[in-house]
Parts: sequence; C-alpha cells; structure tokens
Amino acid sequence: MASALHLEGVRIEDTFAEAFGMRATRLTITAENRTWARHAAVAATGFATSVIACGCEAGIERELAPRETPDSRPGVAILIFAMSSKDLQKHLERRAGQCVLTCPTTAAFNGVPSEIAHDWLNLGGALRYFGDGWQISKLIGGRRYWRIPVMDGEFVCEEKAGLVKGIGGGNFLILASDRASALASAQRAVGAMRKVRNVILPFPGGVVRSGSKVGSKYKALVASTNDAYCPTLVGAVRSALPAGVGAVLEIVIDGLDAPSIASAMREGIVAACRGGTQAGVVGITAGNYGGKLGPHHFHLRDVLA
Amino acid sequence: MTALRFSLETSPASAVDVSGLRPGTLAGKTRREIAGLPLQGWNETYRVGDLFAVRGDDASRIVIDGADGRLIRIGAELDGGELTVIGIAGDYLGESMRAGSITVRGSAGEYLGAGMRAGRIEVSGDAGGFAGSGRAGALRGMSGGVIVVRGRVGDRAGDRMRRGLLLVEGDAGDYCAARMLAGTLVVLGHVGTSPGYLMRRGTLLLEEPRTELPPTFNPSGRHDLLAIRLLLESLSGHGRAFRRFARAGPFQRWLGDLGCGGKGEILIARE
Repeated sequence: MASALHLEGVRIEDTFAEAFGMRATRLTITAENRTWARHAAVAATGFATSVIACGCEAGIERELAPRETPDSRPGVAILIFAMSSKDLQKHLERRAGQCVLTCPTTAAFNGVPSEIAHDWLNLGGALRYFGDGWQISKLIGGRRYWRIPVMDGEFVCEEKAGLVKGIGGGNFLILASDRASALASAQRAVGAMRKVRNVILPFPGGVVRSGSKVGSKYKALVASTNDAYCPTLVGAVRSALPAGVGAVLEIVIDGLDAPSIASAMREGIVAACRGGTQAGVVGITAGNYGGKLGPHHFHLRDVLA
Repeated sequence: MTALRFSLETSPASAVDVSGLRPGTLAGKTRREIAGLPLQGWNETYRVGDLFAVRGDDASRIVIDGADGRLIRIGAELDGGELTVIGIAGDYLGESMRAGSITVRGSAGEYLGAGMRAGRIEVSGDAGGFAGSGRAGALRGMSGGVIVVRGRVGDRAGDRMRRGLLLVEGDAGDYCAARMLAGTLVVLGHVGTSPGYLMRRGTLLLEEPRTELPPTFNPSGRHDLLAIRLLLESLSGHGRAFRRFARAGPFQRWLGDLGCGGKGEILIARE
C-alpha cells in the first residue's frame, strides 16, 4: 500500500476526484471600459453554479487586456459548461441575449480558437433576430459578425462560438480544524487557481460549503447534503472526517481540458496547504463516486507529482 | 524552380482569352506542351507559342509579361497559386476566381474580378468599369475575396456586389456601389454621381467630403461604430493608404437606397 502523501505536514488522502464530460464554450466580452465588461460577465455567469438546478455552470476565466481582445477594448473571458450541446446552445443564447446584449457598450466574440473547436454554436446567428430586420451581417477578416441596432448604437456579436468537449466536476476538499481556517485555506486556493487558464470555479467565490452526495431520502431530490463530511453529523452518521476536523470546504473546477484541471488542482492544493497544520489545515481529500460514474479521474497523488 | 513566364512577343489582332494560363491547367505540363495549348481569339485560334515566349517551370507561380490590353480573362476561374501580370491586363481579369492571388503591375480593363468568389486581386494602376460586379445579365457581382485597386476605377464599381471587399485608393466613376447587395466597398478618392444607387444592403465607405448622394439616402447621424472600427483595422494590411484611413472616423452615416429597402449604408469620413 502506498504511504500517505503529506504537503507541509497536511495529509493528502490517496484518492481521486471523479469528473464528467461536458460541453463548453468561451465568450470574450468587451466593453468601453473594464467596469462594463465585468458587469456583463458577472451577470452572464450568475446563477450558474451547478447543472443540477441552474442548467449550466459558468464563471469568469480571466480579465483580458485590450491587446488580447478582437476590438482592442478591455474584456473578460467567460466559460460556460452544460451537459449537452443542445443545453449549451440554449444557455449561451439566453445568457448572451439577456446579460451581454443588454449591457451598455458591450460586444461579444467567440473565444475558442478554431483549432480546438469541436463544433460551432450559434451566437450572433441566434441573437440577430432582436434587430427586427435591421440587423446587418458583416464579414471582417474571415469572421462573420452581426450588428444589431440598440439604443446606445450597435451591439456587435460574432456569429458563431466554438464548442469544446470540456470536463466538469474536478474537485478537492479542504479539511480544517475550524471554519475560519477552512475559509482562509480555501481563499488561498482560489487565489492561486484563478491564475490558471481554461478553468473556472463556478461556485460563489469559487468555494462550496454544501458538498452533496447522490440521492436523498426524499424522492424529489437527486442530490442531498454530503453527511459523511458534515462535522455536525459526526457521531450520527458514518463520518469520513478524521479527528480534529471542525469544517470542510470544497472547490469545484470545470475546465476545457484535463491538464488544465489537474494544473488548477495542483495550484489550489499547494496554496490551501500553505502554513500547514499550523494554519489549521488538517487534510485534503477529493470527491468521487467510486469511479463508476465519471470517466475522468484526477488522482491527488498524480496531480501533485 | 523559377516562375513560369509568358512574355508576349506577338500582339494578337483582337482580344484573346488566356484564362487557360493558370496554375491548375498548366501543372505537370512541359514547356513544349504548354506552347501547343490553344488560345481562343475573336475569330481565330492561336497556340500559346504563337504569341508568347515561355520560360520557367513552376506552374504555381505564373507571370504574364508585356500584356497590352488584348489578353482577356487573365486568371479567370483561378483556383489557386499566384499570377502576376505586367502591363495592361484586358477585360474580365480574375473573373469567377475561387482562390489564389493575382497581382497586376499596371492597369486592368473592364469587369475586373467580376463574379469572383474568393482570393485576392491587386492592381497597381487603374481599372475599368464594373470592377467587382458581375457579367452583364448576372444577378450578383463578386461574392467573396478582396480586390485592391491603387489607382482609379471606372463607372459601376461594385455593381450588384454580394460579398467581399473592394478597395479603391483613387477615384471611382459614376454609380459606384449601384444595386449593391452586400459586402464592403471603400473609395479613398472622389466618387462620381449617384453612389449607392438602388443599393439594397452593404457598406460604402468614402473619405471624400464633397460626395453628392442620391436624394433617396437619409442622414443617420455621426457615429463611431465598433463594427466599422473592426472593419477599418482589418484594412490596415492592404497598404499605407488604408492604414491611414483606418484611423478615420467617426463617420457621417447615410442610409439607403430608400427606393429599395434602405438597409445599405454610406459612411463618409469627413463632411
């Protein structure tokens, strides 16, 4: 049996995160300034923590400098994930239509390089009808754009957005002695993980406190609280928590590819363990379903190798 | 390997269709075979060797040297490779071309790039009427690709243009962008009368401040539009004059032709 792995004295459980295939896209949202680009990006990625009830998972990947955007304006790259191409098309259209088109001065561009696009989604091709016949198509540098007249001028939107076969559900759990230590550790992890490209952390602030298990005693629910990791249920259920754990927080990662998720997990775990047990971090583990549901397994040992 | 070079030695008595002198049809042929290929004249069939001295061996790069205006349909139906014309290219240069590039060091005749679908044509001098349009009777003009004319173009440039980019550094004649269906036409010099006449959609960008538009165009205000900025930036690669023009704006926008829908736009840099 392999010996336990430790990082700064923190025990890393010899387990794996189980993740699932998803369909993903990246939008580049630009605006007259960074404030308005962020407003649109925040709105477009709102209420998108989990496909269980939101239909899609979305988040801000990173901010873009003017030199990185097609129109040389400040921008934000967002990633949207869904369980099928059809779902992704539906949510892309809704979110771009309701949150980007509506936001002053914004424009929306495909952010997926054609080399990695598995297929194409309708972006401007779907939103153009808002123009009520006054929309104009323009082919510029080989890319088709739609110009939709709006009250502050024109909303410019690329016709297609690339679809990528992404991965959702990469994760790890931080076991800490108390809530404050767990939160501080999680924040360190999120700070480090946000620097990794091609990934998002879809939950509020990048952190989940309500880890879930599959199923429930209530028929209507497909998921319910992960009782094995709830410190207040120690003594009542078959707890998975080692002695001395008073709080657990999870970080969920969706990414465009496996190496990016593994990289984000590594950066996150290393940052989470910084300060070691002195910082109140007791252990790191990961969520899985025994390996039977998701085809992507991120073994913590491999991720940290 | 050197470019396959056709030097005109005997000027034909009338126009001759030289559309056969393109990479796709000459690849794999010897110079002797090429010299024996037929070229259709008005009333007479010539052999390539009757008119041209043939040198070189790389059929993907063709040079036609000494063109005197009687060689028509140069590069018509071109589907790849490079073609360079030195002299005066006749009518229908690049007609219906689908890929590749044609460079004219000199001038071109009427119907330059008529009905072209893709590729690039650059003319260092002037071009005749109907550049970027379609053949007489065709419902659509060029439907893709880029035409750059460093000099002037004649009347009806971009007539029935459906898609693509037609860039004119000099002046354009009357009825520029008439019956335009879509696409982009840029003229940095003067334009003649009735630009945009019966234009349905598309964009005509003008630098000239004294352009008289038809009465069926309505002013739509002065705008700094993101799509136009993107378009102008994309023009920067087409030479110094267009790089300079890329900094123009905001533009006075006119919508028309209201006689047929009014979804076309004429944008004037200074007014």
